[in-house]
Amino acid sequence: MAGLELLSDQGYRVDGRRAGELRRIQARMGVFAQADGSAYIEQGNTKALAVVYGPHEIRGSRARALPDRALVNCQYSSATFSTGERKRRPHGDRKSCEMGLQLRQTFEAAILTQLHPRSQIDIYVQVLQADGGTYAACVNAATLAVLDAGVPMRDFVCACSAGFVDSTALADLSHVEEAAGGPQLALALLPASGQIALLEMDARLHEDHLESVLEAAARAARDVHTLLDRVVRQHVREASVLLGD
Amino acid sequence: MLQKREKVLLLRTFQGRTLRIVREHYLRPSVPCNSPLCPQPATCHNDGKLLSSDVTHYMIPDWKVVQDYLEILEFPELKGIIFMQTACQTLQHQRGRRQYNKLRHLLKDARHDCVLFANEFQQHCYHPRERGESMEKWQTRSIYRAAVWYYHHCQDKMPIVMVTEDEEAVQQYGSETEGVFVISFKGVLNVNKHRAQIEAFVRLQGASCKDSGLVSDILVHGMKARNRSIHGDVVVVELLPKNEWKGRTAALCENDSDDKALGDPPSEPMPTGKVVGILQKNWRDYVVTFPSKEEVQSQGKNAQKILVTPWDNRIPKIRISTQQTEALQDFRVVVRIDSWESTSLYPNGHFVRVLGRIGDLEGEIATILVENSISVVPFSEAQMCEMPVNTPENPWKVSPEEERERKDLRETHLVFSIDPKGCEDVDDTLSVRTLANGNLELGVHIADVTHFVPPNSYIDIEARTRAITYYLADRRYDMLPSILSADLCSLLGGVDRYAVSVIWELDKTSYEIKTVWYSRTIIRSAYKLFYEAAQELLDGNFHIVDDIPEFRDLDEKSRQAKLEELVWAIGKLTEIARHIRAKRDRCGALELEGVEIRVQLDEKKNIHDLIPRQPLEVHETVAECMILANHWVAKKIWESFPHQALLRQHPPPQQEFFSELRECAKAKGFFIDTRSNKTLADSLDNANDPNDPIVNRLLRSMATQAMSNALYFSTGSCAEEEFHHYGLALDKYTHFTSPIRRYSDIVVHRLLMAAISKDKKMEIKDNLLSNKDLEELCRHINNRNRAAQHSQKQSTELFQCMYFKDKDPENEARCISDGVIYSIRTNGVLVFIPRFGIKGAAYLRNKDGLVISCGSDSRSEWKPGSLQRFQNKITSTTTGGESVTFHLFDHVTVRISVQASRCHSDTIRLEIISNKPYLIPDKELFHQSSLLLKSDLVKEVTRSVEEAQLAQEVKVNVIQEDYQKYCQTKGRSLYTLLEEIRDLALLDVSNSYGM
Repeated sequence: MAGLELLSDQGYRVDGRRAGELRRIQARMGVFAQADGSAYIEQGNTKALAVVYGPHEIRGSRARALPDRALVNCQYSSATFSTGERKRRPHGDRKSCEMGLQLRQTFEAAILTQLHPRSQIDIYVQVLQADGGTYAACVNAATLAVLDAGVPMRDFVCACSAGFVDSTALADLSHVEEAAGGPQLALALLPASGQIALLEMDARLHEDHLESVLEAAARAARDVHTLLDRVVRQHVREASVLLGD
Repeated sequence: MLQKREKVLLLRTFQGRTLRIVREHYLRPSVPCNSPLCPQPATCHNDGKLLSSDVTHYMIPDWKVVQDYLEILEFPELKGIIFMQTACQTLQHQRGRRQYNKLRHLLKDARHDCVLFANEFQQHCYHPRERGESMEKWQTRSIYRAAVWYYHHCQDKMPIVMVTEDEEAVQQYGSETEGVFVISFKGVLNVNKHRAQIEAFVRLQGASCKDSGLVSDILVHGMKARNRSIHGDVVVVELLPKNEWKGRTAALCENDSDDKALGDPPSEPMPTGKVVGILQKNWRDYVVTFPSKEEVQSQGKNAQKILVTPWDNRIPKIRISTQQTEALQDFRVVVRIDSWESTSLYPNGHFVRVLGRIGDLEGEIATILVENSISVVPFSEAQMCEMPVNTPENPWKVSPEEERERKDLRETHLVFSIDPKGCEDVDDTLSVRTLANGNLELGVHIADVTHFVPPNSYIDIEARTRAITYYLADRRYDMLPSILSADLCSLLGGVDRYAVSVIWELDKTSYEIKTVWYSRTIIRSAYKLFYEAAQELLDGNFHIVDDIPEFRDLDEKSRQAKLEELVWAIGKLTEIARHIRAKRDRCGALELEGVEIRVQLDEKKNIHDLIPRQPLEVHETVAECMILANHWVAKKIWESFPHQALLRQHPPPQQEFFSELRECAKAKGFFIDTRSNKTLADSLDNANDPNDPIVNRLLRSMATQAMSNALYFSTGSCAEEEFHHYGLALDKYTHFTSPIRRYSDIVVHRLLMAAISKDKKMEIKDNLLSNKDLEELCRHINNRNRAAQHSQKQSTELFQCMYFKDKDPENEARCISDGVIYSIRTNGVLVFIPRFGIKGAAYLRNKDGLVISCGSDSRSEWKPGSLQRFQNKITSTTTGGESVTFHLFDHVTVRISVQASRCHSDTIRLEIISNKPYLIPDKELFHQSSLLLKSDLVKEVTRSVEEAQLAQEVKVNVIQEDYQKYCQTKGRSLYTLLEEIRDLALLDVSNSYGM
């Protein structure tokens, strides 16, 4: 692994992509019947499943209810077989909790929570295979699931990761690229307005380069939006056909 | 931008465990090809550096080539190189950062005309690795496929050459796509002996030369295409386009003649190429001759630099600078080549030493030795110090320790040897006896040379270097010092000797082998018989007894008893040998009593082999026992050491080489079935012309020539099926029975000893050779073997020439002989002379363009006319309408003469003087002489040379005396001249011949 070259002189990454290119994205909405909304997404080899329940009454202690808006409850879990080495616990560890928190922040920013006061929206995300960019995959899957559930949102939330290698920004990092340990940035964007729902960065990156990495991530997020939009339209078309419209 | 996605499944180990990792792999429809020939530069995004368009081809190195020869690829002279991504990645993984960075800089450097093609990201070039496909194969395949795609991408405008080291790849892909050539480097340059100036052939290395349609060798036409390579060099050859291919010439021609022979239509074109590089030079010492005085003058002012002519026709003239031209004029001289400038027609060399006078026997023999790289310096002090002592004062004795360890057969077994008369180095003896249970016990006892020659001692190293005892026509050069070869290791009669024995127990009636054991023994040979005596005893003629020294001093009674015992043993041996032979014959053993092979296949390599052997059954008996011992030892050492045993293989011949044999046999109405050794042996037996026994002999020698030579090899480097010995029809064979004469047998002895220790669960004392070392050793021994054969042949030819040189071909009866035509060429025939065992060419068209014609008295004359060659015959028609036809196997009368040559060896020359068989004036004389001729010939020549020398010495003395006595001038007087003529008369040996 020592000499792995993340970006060759010819501008190819390890898996054959160029710097700004995304992995292949495939998605489906409405994969479960009993949930209010559900979606499945594949970003390269990263596969995630999202399920949305709600808005519904607050479950558990009523004290948690918010008087002016809905409570967004996010839970992240990762399948035991999702990584190269088998995981001991599927959820409840520190990493999962943090991921759930990040998802919650992201969706509180996107969902029009004020329309459903004193109610609750549950978003459950499970990663089936982790091959880099799990956060982005989760956000994208959850977006589709929320849309599927018919919960009003300001806009799509599209997320993408970006890295920085050899003074070039790489979009949509794979597991190999993440494992190499360079700076890594996760961005969730509301594409129409260009507002940032969440921005997170690991490792150190010089301020001068932040702009370019951010730009690469944003461009990738917009690309993701195009794709997700296509998926949603396709889904609606199919649904309307089924309704006999 | 369209993207397709594919996945690569990688299995990789991590801390000992296998981990299955799935990685993505994205392919795209276009990656930059960086070629100026690209039809759509826009889609390819060729924005980096481009290849130049003025090269003749693009070169794609295989991954292995990139790995191992990156330094060569770095030369700026090499242009148009495409590095495939596959190869680069392999380099990165296997050779590390440093090498990879070198490659990266190479690719970045604008001065180097090379690019990288990302074949693995191209959707048409990417081929996933198949199940069970090795990494190496997959890499080669990927690179080849990418090369093919690239070729088509450039609209087939630019040929692509893929360079690989993988023979299989060459075979597999070589001819798959037109325009994409797969070449491998190596081949050995073989210069045609007879047309040195024009033709040379390159034989591809390795057995698999059937790639890219190159069934045959590659022809290299002309000195220029040979590009300063010399016979024996390992060269790189570039194939020429098909329309420049040439055929080889079928006509006979003299070596030094000009291109006259090219008027004949050459045979069908064969692959032709030119040498583009020399991988390994094979320069050695060359024997040369200085030009004669006239030639020196014609060479002009620059007399300091002399062009000398090598003895070997295949070597170009060498330019050396010396002041001694005059003095060295009449000598054979050794030179070495130093360099060869690219601008020069000839190589430069320097003078090393003088061998001897031209035409002088010793000088000529020394020439043969040097030319075959045989060095025969006497054994050194250090080597002799290792030898045991055996003098009358201090006789050698069997040591008590050895006596304890070895099995003592001195009292129990009747051991005897059968060898040619006068043989000194007896390395095999035989024994046979009846056991208590009625079964027979057959024993072969071989001299225990390894006891006296410890591994890596000085004498061992020397023997390894010599590898074999060299037998020339009149002398031999021993592999071991004579104290061993003629004394302590020689199993002489009546003395105790160490031996290694192979002993079989045979069933009393069926002679089936029941058990076998191998052991170190002590023996005392009772009789040292010679073949003829043994045969007489076998036939029941006991008058020969007087010739056997062992019987001389016995009284009548014990003599009779002992004689009976011996006769029984010989009789039994013969019976057993017949049985074994019959069994081997059923498997298809060949009897190849060719004129030349005789020496090679015979167990008893000895000087007597030069005589056309009288077919005695005893010969066969002894040979059969030796073959049996060799076979069983081969089995034993292979079982004990499957990967490092030294065996001998004889690969089956290639069928196409048999075509000439089949054609010839057809001319006589015989059908030769060459499908297997069995059918070949049978059909050769059937192809017997009752009127002409020579036909069968010739056919057999042709069959022999079609076969490849038997070779030593190490079992670790061959598959088991390849062990087979074709000629003897045995699955495993080795050489075990002549350790005094062959180093291979010493190695086999050591292996056998180790195998015995292994069976006894004892520690193996000597370090055995590893497969690789053994392979190296085998190559050396094979090489030396070949040198021994060549030197033997050349020395025989030398003696033949010396014999005929003194005869006047016009008058001497001996120079006219009967010959048989055995091959037809466009301007002549090849003739075999059974009486002398000579093969040579006879022209039907002479140098003035006249053809042969035979009148009514069947005397031949030269007349203007034309020749017409058919498959089995050649017709010569004169302008006068007379015509004469020569068929294959026709008997003709030929005149033998010697064509003297100053720089090379003399050659025998044949001239057809009549198209009728030569009528032997005296039948009896002929029969006698044909058997004894060769040895006599050698003796005669040797004697005459000695006499001449003696005479010369006497003459010198006489002259000196005269000078002192009468104060005569030193110059030539009439007296000395007359004396010389008298001496010459001594050379006439015709009277003593045939007595």
